[in-house]
Amino acid sequence: MASIVSIVDVVKEYQLGKVTVPALRGVSLEVGAGEFIAVAGPSGSGKTTLLNLIGCVDVATAGTVRVDGQDTRLLSERALTLLRLNTIGFIFQSFNLVSVLSVAQNVEFPLLLQKRHAAKERRDRVMALLEQVGLHTHARHRPNELSGGQRQRVAVARALVTRPKLVLADEPTANLDSQTGATIIDLMKEMNQKEGTTFVFSTHDAKVMSHANAVVKLADGVIVGREDLGPGAAA
Amino acid sequence: MSTLKLLFEIALRNLRASAVNLIVGGLIFFGTVLLLVGGATLNSMDSAMSKSIIGSVAGHLQVYSSKSKEDLALYGGMMAEADVEAIQDFTQVKKLLEQVPNVEKVVPMGINGALMAGGNTIDLTLADLREKVNRKREGDQSPELEQRIQSLKAHVRHMVELLDRDQKNLAAISTARAQEPENAEAVKKALAEEFWEGFDRAPLDALEFLENRIAPQASDADLIYVRYVGTNLDDFQKAFDRMEIVDGQAVPPGQRGFLFSKWFYETTLKVKVARRLDEMKEQIEVNRATIARSEDLQRMVKENKAQTRDILYQLDPQKTATMVEQLQKALGTQEKDPGKLLALLLDTGDQNFQERYRLFYDVVAPLLQMYRVRIGDTLTIQAFTRSGYVQSVNVKVYGTYQFKGLEKAAMAGTQNLMDLMSFRDLYGYLSPEKAEEIKKMKAQSGASMIDREKAEDALFGGGSDGAGREVVVQATPGVIDESKELEGGAGALRRRDLVSRVYSREEVEGGVVLNAAVMLKDPSRLWQTMEEINARAKDAKLDLKAISWQQAAGFLGQLVLFIRLVLYAAVFILFVVVLVIINNAMMMATMQRVREIGTMRAIGAQRSLVLWLVLLETVLLALVFGVAAVLTGGGLVWWLHGVGIPAFRPELYFFFSGPRLYPELGVGTIVAANVVISLVSAISTLYPAITATRVSPVVAMQTDE
Repeated sequence: MASIVSIVDVVKEYQLGKVTVPALRGVSLEVGAGEFIAVAGPSGSGKTTLLNLIGCVDVATAGTVRVDGQDTRLLSERALTLLRLNTIGFIFQSFNLVSVLSVAQNVEFPLLLQKRHAAKERRDRVMALLEQVGLHTHARHRPNELSGGQRQRVAVARALVTRPKLVLADEPTANLDSQTGATIIDLMKEMNQKEGTTFVFSTHDAKVMSHANAVVKLADGVIVGREDLGPGAAA
Repeated sequence: MSTLKLLFEIALRNLRASAVNLIVGGLIFFGTVLLLVGGATLNSMDSAMSKSIIGSVAGHLQVYSSKSKEDLALYGGMMAEADVEAIQDFTQVKKLLEQVPNVEKVVPMGINGALMAGGNTIDLTLADLREKVNRKREGDQSPELEQRIQSLKAHVRHMVELLDRDQKNLAAISTARAQEPENAEAVKKALAEEFWEGFDRAPLDALEFLENRIAPQASDADLIYVRYVGTNLDDFQKAFDRMEIVDGQAVPPGQRGFLFSKWFYETTLKVKVARRLDEMKEQIEVNRATIARSEDLQRMVKENKAQTRDILYQLDPQKTATMVEQLQKALGTQEKDPGKLLALLLDTGDQNFQERYRLFYDVVAPLLQMYRVRIGDTLTIQAFTRSGYVQSVNVKVYGTYQFKGLEKAAMAGTQNLMDLMSFRDLYGYLSPEKAEEIKKMKAQSGASMIDREKAEDALFGGGSDGAGREVVVQATPGVIDESKELEGGAGALRRRDLVSRVYSREEVEGGVVLNAAVMLKDPSRLWQTMEEINARAKDAKLDLKAISWQQAAGFLGQLVLFIRLVLYAAVFILFVVVLVIINNAMMMATMQRVREIGTMRAIGAQRSLVLWLVLLETVLLALVFGVAAVLTGGGLVWWLHGVGIPAFRPELYFFFSGPRLYPELGVGTIVAANVVISLVSAISTLYPAITATRVSPVVAMQTDE
């Protein structure tokens, strides 16, 4: 199984004034293509830091992070941005939609950034995805006209519109009630199985964890265990 | 393309989301309109004023002595005339200037101010009486002359009565300004029957008493300050083709003579009541003012009613009777007091103003001498010479002149014109060889001449200390020179002859001038020509300096610059405020949108995109309101160009070079306005935009706690 993410001995420290706060203290992790992995652990265990490093929005203090075969430490800021644009999709805890744009425009945004798709193709892809997440009737709505669950579904569609190899979701259900959260996870799982997209998501909700085919447990900046839950790991 | 469209959309929607943008846009709009309309108006004013200045007295260039202590100021300095060193020999200067290819005409000049002893009404009447008395003494026994003398006597007597009444009135209201006993005594003597009975026995003594003791007591006795440009009048008229003669005629070529500026003649020398009526008429007809609403007009009515004295002084008993009779009939009243009748006539309202105006000019004006100096009179001008004592010169007033389009411009109207010879006499410049000459002449100067000077000093209150013969003689080098040429040059005779003497061009030009106006063939090469003249003067070792009309106009030349600076300062302050507001608003917007920006960055937007996103917002704002402002401002200027900005105050005529200013919007102004807006918006957004690009994608992952 080919690794899409390969992390070796990663240390991440934050500078808070004169105090150095360690967030990750030597983490190694392999994520295979097509996996649906949950990162679990209490608050402050380093879940978000780990996702930041995988998502190339932050760089490790020490150790190597390889995403899609590229060592992120060796990449320029510009190249990292391109890597994020073309390889990774993001789903945020607070949805993070652009408030002045419509649902369809939000989903289309990454395609526009890629600058390689004709208008028709963009529209087709956007509408297909909105249909998949069940929001094609809301294409012209503004985010503030939607419920939390609907917004997160738009975010899922946005994360998937570029057909990334990897989707990172940081606590995607934390701001949703459990039922809505479940439908989001189901949606993600569906995409994972249909498209073979790799998902890495953080959560501390045991119910959500149960959907993953592997759970990586973090505590105090180190991985304390990896639990493979078996079936459906690879499509 | 699509990315740009999206950015555009985001920017537009962000703009619409915040009301602050409306304020910012409003300020940009206001500032731009101000810049456009103000700039266009000032540009047009600048060119109008340059036309005024160049066309009235300055010419394109002015030359004067480089040894001068102060800069030349054609329109006067703030305090006094500029201290400009004299150019000894104008011929040399003229020759040098005429060799410069771009020079078309050279007009010699000298500007100075002087006190004009116009004399009050009593003075004028007494002078008239003295002249008639002299004629009688010389043997004229005609009954007309005798009748005229008696009439003048009655007039003087009438005036003394008026004076007495005025002073009694004054004493009644003001104890502080009690009348000096000797003055009161003099008036008492002049009122007495014996004085007038004795007049014919010794008329000269009586006249001297009246001239010295009574005339100075009349309150309208004053000296008028006259600013004059001594110049070669023929050349002046040719060079400044906007000049035209209004009353009278031009000074005959080569002769001494004086031309009043029409404006000065009207405003300063006309009977004040008549002047006020004229002004009121203009305000009512041109500016549509009404007496009911205008405090200015109400003040003039009040002043007219109160200040009838100078009219009453002018009327002898017979004329007074005529006026009383006619006014009684016209006004339908039995009032017998001429002062009260006049006040009644001048008590004008909006309904009767036109009728009363006509009545005044039909009934009262024909009885009056409307101007303190008449065309054809000989004027005595007193000036402080360079050496500090008083010099006086008699010149004949040939007429009045004005500059077309500047008829009402005080700036163009304060300059009266005089021949160069008289100017030099008043200037009293002492060249070394002349000083030597005078030394030799001191012994020869005749006693009769000194008497004449003394008499003048007494009459006009000339302040030459001691009034000794030497002082007066020294003050008149030019005159002495000529009196030597004129055989048997006794004072009175000499002066009369000078008035009609014709001077050759060599005489006029071969002497002292202060400055000279230079007209150019091609005004666009003004600066090159100026430098060329300066270079040539240096080569020829002449102490000569050429300056542009702007510099020569002194404070006036800088006035437009000053107004321009004020406008620019206002616009600058406005745009600094705009800048600060935009900067703050965008900074706040950026801060509010940190998560959004971080998200975009995380999703894969490059920094440049974020930069453009923020910049575009301000650019759009500036564009929308800037274009609206250019359209509005352009429309406003276009409209103003059509109707013209009226010179609602006479002072503005000079700046507008006529009664209305027609502003034109130059391409330069539009470009400048756009550059300013672009710069302001760019600079104001630069910092927020850069801050936005520094937003890390990490913030997208942060959760709201």
